[in-house]
Amino acid sequence: MRSRLHLGGLLLAAVGLASCVEPPAAPLDTPAMVDTEEVELPEVAAASVERRAQRVTVRVRSLGCEQFGLGSGFVLADGVVVTNRHVIEQPREVTVNTWDGRSFAAEVTGVATDTDLALLQLEDAGDLPVAELRTAPVQRGEEVFAVGYPGGGPAQVSPGRVLGMVDGTVLGEPAEVIRVEVEIALGSSGGPLVDRDGLVVGVVFAVEVDAGVGLAVPVETLLERLESGELVAPGAC
Amino acid sequence: MNQEPWAVPSDPASLSSSTSASTPPPRRRRWPTVVLVVLLLLTTVGAITATVVAVDQRDVAAQWEERALALEAQRDALDEQRAEVSDRLEATRDALVTSERDVGELEDRVRSLAEEKARAEDTATTVQVERDVFIELSELISDATGALDSCVTQLLDLQSASVEAFNRANAGQDVDIDALNARAGEVTRFCNQARTAAATAEAAADRLLRS
Repeated sequence: MRSRLHLGGLLLAAVGLASCVEPPAAPLDTPAMVDTEEVELPEVAAASVERRAQRVTVRVRSLGCEQFGLGSGFVLADGVVVTNRHVIEQPREVTVNTWDGRSFAAEVTGVATDTDLALLQLEDAGDLPVAELRTAPVQRGEEVFAVGYPGGGPAQVSPGRVLGMVDGTVLGEPAEVIRVEVEIALGSSGGPLVDRDGLVVGVVFAVEVDAGVGLAVPVETLLERLESGELVAPGAC
Repeated sequence: MNQEPWAVPSDPASLSSSTSASTPPPRRRRWPTVVLVVLLLLTTVGAITATVVAVDQRDVAAQWEERALALEAQRDALDEQRAEVSDRLEATRDALVTSERDVGELEDRVRSLAEEKARAEDTATTVQVERDVFIELSELISDATGALDSCVTQLLDLQSASVEAFNRANAGQDVDIDALNARAGEVTRFCNQARTAAATAEAAADRLLRS
């Protein structure tokens, strides 16, 4: 009986030895270098978004019949500039200054009658960078920033948050307007309100003096006016 | 019969006879030998198998060792590569930060110059507007001055004509009073127009001073 056990053990040991260790598989290939182009640098990306927003924002100088106005605006495709109606009322001569010192003569192609928006057409717009509009509405608490030329000075970026939407009828607007906790000063009118992706969500047009918060026409209103063409010629002297 | 002591008799009859004839030699069994042989065979097979397996495993062990050395070398290479990539990434990040700062400073400078240019254009526009206003005011004043000067001249002429008419009347000569009155009326209208022009110029100058 013991011999049989020895025999069985010997056979199992042999089978075990034969099967327990396998030769190594083919050697692994050396992994490729890390693709450094995929490395994300959020602070650089944010700076890039702000820089681009500054580049699409322009300074608008309007010589009117009775007044000399300074404001802001932003460039769309084909040399179209969006600004506020109150910046260019009764225009005699309108000039647009870009962030890098270029000057363009502009013609007022239309002003909205029921909202504080106006469109200018640049002559020889060339290779000006253009703003992209966001179709989705803004959300309460969303981080945004306003770009403009307060006091006619250099382009300024003012970060803040969306406080909500308020009834715009008391301000002569056809729909709700964006209430935003952003520093707005004289000369910022017509400038873009931009989200963190660099998309325009509104057009700054007023300030609540008491609360010190800004108001902006939603980009939906602008898109409606652009699509419907419900714009009229500016007033003459 | 030459019979092996342990052989099993094939004939039962002979077995009984032999048993009865004498005490048979103790029966010797064959199976232990068979088992032993089988064991020896199996042991031999097992030993051979174990030897083959051992040789095979030695080769496998050698391959594993070779593989381990290769992996170690690969690990070292990867460590080196990782360090190199980290250095490059760090250098790239530093360069990017520096570049961002440089670009930011340059753009600030560009913006500053652009602002100066825009301000200069504002001033030029304002100056142009003021120049236009001054030109307009100058024209108004010039017109008013010319009109007033002409008024004065006409008044002096009228005064001379009146004196002449007075002297002629004193001398008993005929005097055309209607013509003199018509001329006086004409001069009055002209002088009123001159005064209006002067008032317009004065108002424009006042507006300019207040703006």
